[in-house]
Amino acid sequence: MELFTPQKETWFYHVNPAFKFFIIFAALLITLFNRHFAFALHLLLIYILLLVLWSGYSWRKLLLLLAPFVLIFISTASTMILFGKGEVIWWTWGIIKISEESFFRGLLLSMKTVSFGVMGLLFVLTTKPLLFFYALMQQFHLPAKYGYSFIAAIRLLPTVWEEFHTRTNALTIRGVRYKAGIQGIYERIRLYAVPLLAQSIRRAQRIAVAMEAKQFHISSSRTYYYATSYSRRDAVLLITLVVLLIFAYVSAQYIPLFEWEPPVHQAVILQ
Amino acid sequence: MNVSQLSSDLSITNLRLKFAGESSFIFKDLSFVVPQGQKILLLGPSGCGKSTLLQVLSGIIPTSIEVPMKADSIQKPDSWGFVFQDPDTQFCMPMVDEELAFVLENLSVPREQMKARMTSVLEMVGLHLDLDELHVPIQSFSQGMKQRLALATVLLLNPEVLFLDEPSALLDPDGTMQIWEAIKYVASEKTVIIVEHKIEHIISYVDRVVLFNDKGEIIADDTPDFVFSNNKDELQQFGIWYPDVWQDYTQSNTYQTIMHEKHLYNQSPSIPAVSRKRPPLLWLHQFAGYREKQRKIYVREAAVHTGEWIAITGENGAGKSTFLLSLMQLLRTEGTYVIEGQPIVQAQSRRKKHTPPSQLAFVFQNPEMQFVTDSVYDEIAFALQLEKRPQVEIDRIVKGLLSSFHLHVSEDRHPYQLSMGQKRRLSVASAIVQNQPILLLDEPTFGLDAKSTFAMLERLEQLRVSGVSILMITHDPHIVEYFCDHVWEIREGELSSISKVKRPTAATTSLYDANKDVDMAESHIIHSEAATKRSK
Repeated sequence: MELFTPQKETWFYHVNPAFKFFIIFAALLITLFNRHFAFALHLLLIYILLLVLWSGYSWRKLLLLLAPFVLIFISTASTMILFGKGEVIWWTWGIIKISEESFFRGLLLSMKTVSFGVMGLLFVLTTKPLLFFYALMQQFHLPAKYGYSFIAAIRLLPTVWEEFHTRTNALTIRGVRYKAGIQGIYERIRLYAVPLLAQSIRRAQRIAVAMEAKQFHISSSRTYYYATSYSRRDAVLLITLVVLLIFAYVSAQYIPLFEWEPPVHQAVILQ
Repeated sequence: MNVSQLSSDLSITNLRLKFAGESSFIFKDLSFVVPQGQKILLLGPSGCGKSTLLQVLSGIIPTSIEVPMKADSIQKPDSWGFVFQDPDTQFCMPMVDEELAFVLENLSVPREQMKARMTSVLEMVGLHLDLDELHVPIQSFSQGMKQRLALATVLLLNPEVLFLDEPSALLDPDGTMQIWEAIKYVASEKTVIIVEHKIEHIISYVDRVVLFNDKGEIIADDTPDFVFSNNKDELQQFGIWYPDVWQDYTQSNTYQTIMHEKHLYNQSPSIPAVSRKRPPLLWLHQFAGYREKQRKIYVREAAVHTGEWIAITGENGAGKSTFLLSLMQLLRTEGTYVIEGQPIVQAQSRRKKHTPPSQLAFVFQNPEMQFVTDSVYDEIAFALQLEKRPQVEIDRIVKGLLSSFHLHVSEDRHPYQLSMGQKRRLSVASAIVQNQPILLLDEPTFGLDAKSTFAMLERLEQLRVSGVSILMITHDPHIVEYFCDHVWEIREGELSSISKVKRPTAATTSLYDANKDVDMAESHIIHSEAATKRSK
């Protein structure tokens, strides 16, 4: 696919995929547990910067890929903003109540969500799934049975997608019409799930037997076609990210781009 | 009887095996010996347990598939390879080199040695890939190449014994020939145990044929020559594609009657004369079908008349299925497309909902994909119920179709619980329930045994006689020769030639007036002016 070819492969592509995964995961954990508004904002900006610098994709493609996140940003924020709790009321209308607290908490929440999206995108764009599982098995001692199950499952996805199309065609030809409302949704799920699951389960079973017939044994030792290892790049990534996270935290403390703190009396109540 | 001595690779004594939930044994006290180096073919009706026996002998049962079984003694081979039926469910990796590497990894082969071993086994099965060409998607291979790749992967195991479970069942004639050639080449020193219905390529290859009945008992165990001359009745009864099956079938009373009626039909003064002069039932002119923005099929000109049986042939990926989907308006199409004198309003984009022309019935290759209900009865009744026909009428039509399609099963049976042949017949019955004048089929006999194939073809011929035109994708030259009237060949996304089928069998023509046999004409090339005039 044209869309998923990078302009160039940056050094980030050659970081050990499993190590990359855990570094990104750790960074996102910090985002997840942070309640500080300015820190979250700085983190998000840094993540976007990393995506632009390290993904090796052109601006235009990145904007295209990020477009859905705007939607996610708005939808996540709006629920919290419109219905969240708060003391300092800005506007009410029926059950809608926008307060200062709900507004900023909404923004905080959606910044976190988009952070996950941006870093997830960075990982997916720069990592070959196969190598990720090879690295998990080699550097992180993931049991081979799980590694290869995932690899086999990824291989099956296009087939399932193809079958979904065939099923859609078949249902059109059979003249299936859906009822309106929830019943229609249930009908749709039933008409797609039964044949697709039946095929997939059968296929998975056959592949499993074929794998074992090729002497794939859970316990035995094995060699690896793709050797993954640690390199200096991993150290560079670790150090860079730690420095950037500290920078984000410190700058949020002293030179925040925008700061908001919950009103004091509420903070007291919370404690 | 102690048979597991001597230099036998493989033996089993008094095997008893039963699947959970089944009341009867698959095997009861079966004993079986295979001497080293023997090439052996297991034959029997579907469901007699041939494949199960392969799995027991290899140890897949009970190691990988847990099935309760018991045997006095089993001697399994030290090393073995197993090639399965379905080319799409044998691989766990996306790329050719990765799949081969998977086996080498399992054997703990050092990385540096891997590539050399890969090219050598690929060479042996006739897949010539250079070192830098190894990293190609398996999906880009044809089904036949995939099966040869599967054979190559098991060769890496250095097997003493090869187990082959219908390796050519899902392949076209070319692929079938190539996989057997590869097997013959690589397995000269090995013990080979084969389960297969399509046996024309291996009959001279195997040393021994073992015939099972539907109770899993061995009823014949001898040389191929002996079995094929002495057990013909059983072979026919079990639907096995034995070498002379088409010859015997075309000489059978059933086929002779069909041809006699076909002959009368073509001769009868009223029907064909009128239908020849009448405008064609379906007419295409500069018709093109698109996937995304690419033109995938082009038909300069073609016509279908009432009661014609047209075979659509061509290589895998030539665009046969795309052609049928284009006719069904499930893809975007352009050009002139007329059915029964009415131009079809064509789907301009894939997004826009478009209803398939009501004159067409369509049968998918995999029947399960088109089942929409939970019982055999409802499956056929579905379209009628949508039309809100009276219950009495629905009941009459459904019962009629159930009997004419030989679906003698409980009406409440879930369609998934039918045999493959029954599923296929049910899918045809449910497709044509609205009496559409044109029936499109995507390889309706693919992977079926001989008996189910003939049953299917006879049903289709019945429909044709009743005035239905049939467009059918098929790879089987025999079906074309003995049943179809015209062949449309699709090559590289284009309908490249239209020809009439010559029906050469002495048996048929000798019975009737040979000179007047209508289908004896020479082939036409579609670009010729004659073809153009004829369809106008």
